[in-house]
Amino acid sequence: MRDDLGMLVRDMKAVGSPFRQYLNRLYERHRGNTEGAVATYIPELARANPQWFGVAAMTVDGQQFGVGDSQQPFTIQSVSKPFVFGQALSEHGRAKVAQRVGVEPLGEAFNSYIKLDANSKRPHNPMVNAGAIATAGLITGADPTLRLRKLLTMFEAFAGHPLNVDVGVFVSEKTTGHRNRAIAHLMLNFGMIEPDIDQTLDLYFQQCSVLVTAQDLAAMAATLANHGVNPVTGVRAIPEDYIRDVLSVMYTCGMYDYAGEWAYTVGLPAKSGVSGGVIAVVPGKLGIAVFSPLLDVKGNSVRGIKVCEDMSADLGLHTFAPTSKLDELLGK
Amino acid sequence: MSKTISIHSFRGGTGKSNLTASIACIVAARGKRVAVIDTDVQSPGIHILFGLGEGKVHRTLNDYLWGRCPVEETATDVTPGPVREAGGSVRLIPSSLSPGEIARVLREGYDVGRLIDGIHALNQRLELDYLFIDTHPGLNEETLLSITISDALAVVLRPDSQDYQGSAVTVELARKLDVPRLLLVVNKIPAAFEPAVIAEKVAKAYGAPVAGTLPECAEMMQLASSDIFALRYPDHPMTAAIRDIASQLVD
Repeated sequence: MRDDLGMLVRDMKAVGSPFRQYLNRLYERHRGNTEGAVATYIPELARANPQWFGVAAMTVDGQQFGVGDSQQPFTIQSVSKPFVFGQALSEHGRAKVAQRVGVEPLGEAFNSYIKLDANSKRPHNPMVNAGAIATAGLITGADPTLRLRKLLTMFEAFAGHPLNVDVGVFVSEKTTGHRNRAIAHLMLNFGMIEPDIDQTLDLYFQQCSVLVTAQDLAAMAATLANHGVNPVTGVRAIPEDYIRDVLSVMYTCGMYDYAGEWAYTVGLPAKSGVSGGVIAVVPGKLGIAVFSPLLDVKGNSVRGIKVCEDMSADLGLHTFAPTSKLDELLGK
Repeated sequence: MSKTISIHSFRGGTGKSNLTASIACIVAARGKRVAVIDTDVQSPGIHILFGLGEGKVHRTLNDYLWGRCPVEETATDVTPGPVREAGGSVRLIPSSLSPGEIARVLREGYDVGRLIDGIHALNQRLELDYLFIDTHPGLNEETLLSITISDALAVVLRPDSQDYQGSAVTVELARKLDVPRLLLVVNKIPAAFEPAVIAEKVAKAYGAPVAGTLPECAEMMQLASSDIFALRYPDHPMTAAIRDIASQLVD
């Protein structure tokens, strides 16, 4: 039975909570920061409004928080990668996935030269484009429509409602994705992906073109924080056993060639994308998402990084920090 | 550290606004900085009690909710003479009585989060000791939110079956929202009833303390919301009872 009363009380507590006040202050603190530039490598992304800035969070008991442009849709881009990695693990298990993609941080910039491991010929990890394309190639299904449907169903389970592909961005990615096409050919040369690379690339471009809001990403991150179950719908999105795989690679490889610095200062599993989205996971507690399309030279959202850095420092969220102030702010 | 106190009733006509105005003035007369906010944006009214009739209202809560001004600019000093002499102050944040403003609220709704931010900002920027929220009767989003952020809640009811049942809903929700202090006030008790019996019955039914029982009162009726009862009739037994309720709410 739906617990409407319980849900109402939870929503009210979220709006009245000191954590919401904290997020408001955090938002105001970084609102005026206009450093960075919007990604231009595909024309559709260059159309983003540089002023867009939204912060969202969801607790593992389903309290939702959103400030600024937290309902503004944008394409998920590389933030899709850990979720598709999780789907590949769900379908094939650890051993098979490990044959196709490693878990070694590369310190690779989002637009770097193509690198595969010299010995195994595997991509280094599922967070770089080569690894993500190899991971997309592991998604099974009788035809391209069913494979896409499978990914959208997985995204829906994480976000808590249906998500769709932005066709304009997908076509833009597909017609300009020469570098990704080259990556796929190189991997095909080494026999690391199935021969039908056009279909695999289409699926990869589609997964990057899924429309989300910061609120959706917070729900997806909260699902990872909540051992794979969406806190609001109660739907399982990924077997609990693979949460550690996904969070581990996010922790070590999620922020391009800023990953080491990130793990050291912020200390949370995270993933960023060139459209300006960043997610961070506080396991067992909270999912965080920031959206701001202004990127630094490493391809990470400037305000996305600042907000996560501040939250980690202010609230003691670093994985190895002794105490967290989060429970106190959430009134627990 | 300021305290936020909500006064609520499940149905209209319980005397909630009159009681709120009296309690606010009694508390302020103890040398405190007090504000009263009318969150009953659909059917505002408490400003009348403070003598803020048409033409005297400058800014309203609506102006803040639509982003036209900072929230502290909507606060009007309405400190009555006796309160000022006692070293206290009362500010009022009225809601608009303009049909256009009320229509906009009804059509568009507003961001209740902004209301909560405004309440926090008022407490800080006006350096209040106490903020009283005169809520909209019944249960809606802003009422529940007011309860959520309150340090104390008084539920006003009459000895009437509809009030009894409706208030039970309020009390149950207030418990779920973890309001730190919950008190009941039974108002407008007809002369034929025994207040002590009613108080015992109500306290038992809701499992919450009854802060006071107030009789139906001819002077209150005659006042017809033209003034604040506790100030007009400082020596009336009813005022003594309201004073007692005020103490239980703020102490």
